[in-house]
Amino acid sequence: MDVTRFVDDRPEAGVFRVNRAIFTDETVFNREIVRIFEGGWVFLGIASQAENPHDFFTTTMGRVPVIVQRDGEGALRGFVNSCPHKGARLAQTRQGNARLHVCPYHSWSFDSAGRSKAVKSQSAGCYSAAFEQSDHGLAALPRFEAYRGFLFGSMAANVPPLADYLGEAAKLLDLVADQSKEGLELVPGQVTFTYQANWKLQLENCSDAYHFTSAHPSYIRVLERRQKEASADVVASVWENSDYWKEEAQGVAGGSYSFANGHVLNWGIFGITPAIPLYESAGELAERLGEAKRDWMFNMRNLTIFPNLQVAENASSQLRVIRPLAPGLTEMRTWCIAPKGESAAARRQRIRQYEDFFNPTGMATPDDTVSYENCQIGYGGTVEPWLQGYARGMTAAVEGGNRFSQRLGMTPERSVLADAQLCDETLFHSYYRAWAQRMAGDEAA
Amino acid sequence: MSAPLTRTAAEDLLYREALLIDTQRFAEWLELFTPEVEFWMPAWRDENSVTEDPDRELSLIYYKGRRNLEDRVMRLTSGLSVASLPLPRAVHQVTNVMVLGADEVSATVSAAFTCHRFDVRMGRTDCFFGRYEYRLAWHSDAWLIARKKILLLNDTIPTVVDINVI
Repeated sequence: MDVTRFVDDRPEAGVFRVNRAIFTDETVFNREIVRIFEGGWVFLGIASQAENPHDFFTTTMGRVPVIVQRDGEGALRGFVNSCPHKGARLAQTRQGNARLHVCPYHSWSFDSAGRSKAVKSQSAGCYSAAFEQSDHGLAALPRFEAYRGFLFGSMAANVPPLADYLGEAAKLLDLVADQSKEGLELVPGQVTFTYQANWKLQLENCSDAYHFTSAHPSYIRVLERRQKEASADVVASVWENSDYWKEEAQGVAGGSYSFANGHVLNWGIFGITPAIPLYESAGELAERLGEAKRDWMFNMRNLTIFPNLQVAENASSQLRVIRPLAPGLTEMRTWCIAPKGESAAARRQRIRQYEDFFNPTGMATPDDTVSYENCQIGYGGTVEPWLQGYARGMTAAVEGGNRFSQRLGMTPERSVLADAQLCDETLFHSYYRAWAQRMAGDEAA
Repeated sequence: MSAPLTRTAAEDLLYREALLIDTQRFAEWLELFTPEVEFWMPAWRDENSVTEDPDRELSLIYYKGRRNLEDRVMRLTSGLSVASLPLPRAVHQVTNVMVLGADEVSATVSAAFTCHRFDVRMGRTDCFFGRYEYRLAWHSDAWLIARKKILLLNDTIPTVVDINVI
C-alpha cells in the first residue's frame, strides 16, 4: 500500500496532512485490522479484571475473540476464545470464574491453563492416530505480556518485547500504576457505547486540546453556574480549579509528548487540589515516589498507547478500549480506573466526577462522539481530500523532551510546551507515522 | 396528608411526566421532583446484575438533588451542545404500573418503559427499554418524585443517551 496517498508527511516543507479517505476507505480499514489490530501489540485489559485463580475476562483483537484466563497457580494467559473442534465461542460472558470451560456446542472441555481436559466420547470416536496425537487445547495468543498490570497481546509472533514497544511511554503507565501501593482496579460497572465514525477519531480526540472550549461550551456553562451557585449536592470538578483550558489563561499550561510506535500524551497543569480524589494521598505519594512524580500524577493527562488503549485522567480517571467495527463504526468499552485502597469519600468523588463528564449518558462525551459523526459525514466531501487539522504547533515542536519530562526521567521523541491557546496538533503526527509504518509494504494484507 | 396513592393516581403522575419530557416542557418536568430527589440509572456490573452501591460502583447517571437535573436541562436546552441540536424526537410508553406499597405520605411504584427516539441529526431510530422504580412523596398538595431508579436493559449506548430518552 502506498501510504503517501493517505499521509502527506514532509517535515522539511512544514507539511503534514491526512487524507479523508484514511477514515472511510474499506481497503484501508481491512488492512488496519490485519496489520494493526491483528498484527502487533494491542491492549487487552488489566490484571485485576482476572484477580483470583480461574478468573477470566473476554475481549477482542481485531476480529479475534480473546479470553484472558488466570489458572489455578495464578498465571495469566491469553487464548483465542474459540473451541478447536468447530470454532464455537467458548466463554460466553465478559468476565467470570471457570476452573473448566466446557464448549456449549459439543462439550469439549479445557482447564484454566487452556489444556484440553476431555474430548467427549473420545474412545468411541474412531479417531485416526493423527488426531489422537495432536493437541486439542486452546490456541494461545502468539504473544501475551503484562506491564505493571496492563495486559497486552499480539496475533503476530514477530513483534518486539512489550517493554520495547511501550518504550518511554511506559513511564506514563507507571504514573497510573503507582498511585496506590496496592495497584489498580476497575470500579465495578462497565459502560459500552458505539459511534458511527472511524476509530481514529477517538484516537485523535483524546489528544486534542483544541476542541475543549468549542465542543464543550454547554458543559463549561454548567461549570460556571456551579462556581456561582455553590451547592453541597454538586460534585466538585477539577476544571473549576484550573485555568489550563481557559482561552484567556496566560503562561505555560501544559503541552504534549510524542513517542515511538504511536504513543502520545497531552497534559495540562491542574495543581495539587482537593478536587482531585488523589489529594488525600498527596503527602504519601511524595514520600514514596518523590515530589516530581507526585506532581505529575496531579497533572491532567490524556495518554494513548497505540492503537487501542487510552487512559484519560482529567475530569476523573477513565480507561478506554477502542474497537473498530467498520470504517464508520466503532465500539468503546470504558471503565472508571482507580487506585486500590482509596478512601470511601475519594472513591465517591471519583465516581461522581466520572459520570458527570465521561459517560455517553454524561455531559461531555456525547458532544465529542457526535462531533466524530459529523466528521465522518463530512469526509464524504473529497473535493479537497487533504485535512488541515495537523498543523498547530509545527514551529513549537522540538526533538526530545523538556524540563517537565526531565522531572520524570522520561525522554519522548518530540515535545511541545504550550500556553493554553497553542493546542498542539503535532502529537497526532505520531499516530500517523506509526500507522504508515505498519500499513506500508506490498503484501496483500 | 393524603389518601394512600392509588394505581390510577400513580399512572396519572407517570404519564404526565412522560408527556412533559416528550413535549420538551422541561421546567414543568423538573417541578415533578422533590429538591432532594435521587435520580439514578445504574450501570451493568456483568451480564446478570446492575451496580447497587452508587458510592462504590459506577452508574450511568447518578444525582442526588434536583439541582443536578436543572444543570442537565440547562445543558440540554442551551443551544451549545452539538449532541443536543436538534433535540431528538422521543415518545415514552410507560406500562405495567404497580403500586408496591403506599401510605399517606409515601409510595413505591414500579413500571416498565419503552422510549423510541428518532435522532433527527442522523435520521436514525433507536429504542430504549427497561423498568422504573419510583418512590413518591406527598408534598403539601401533590405527589412528587423523591426517587427515580431507571434500569436500562439495552445498555450498549448508540452514541448518546440523555435524560430525555430514558
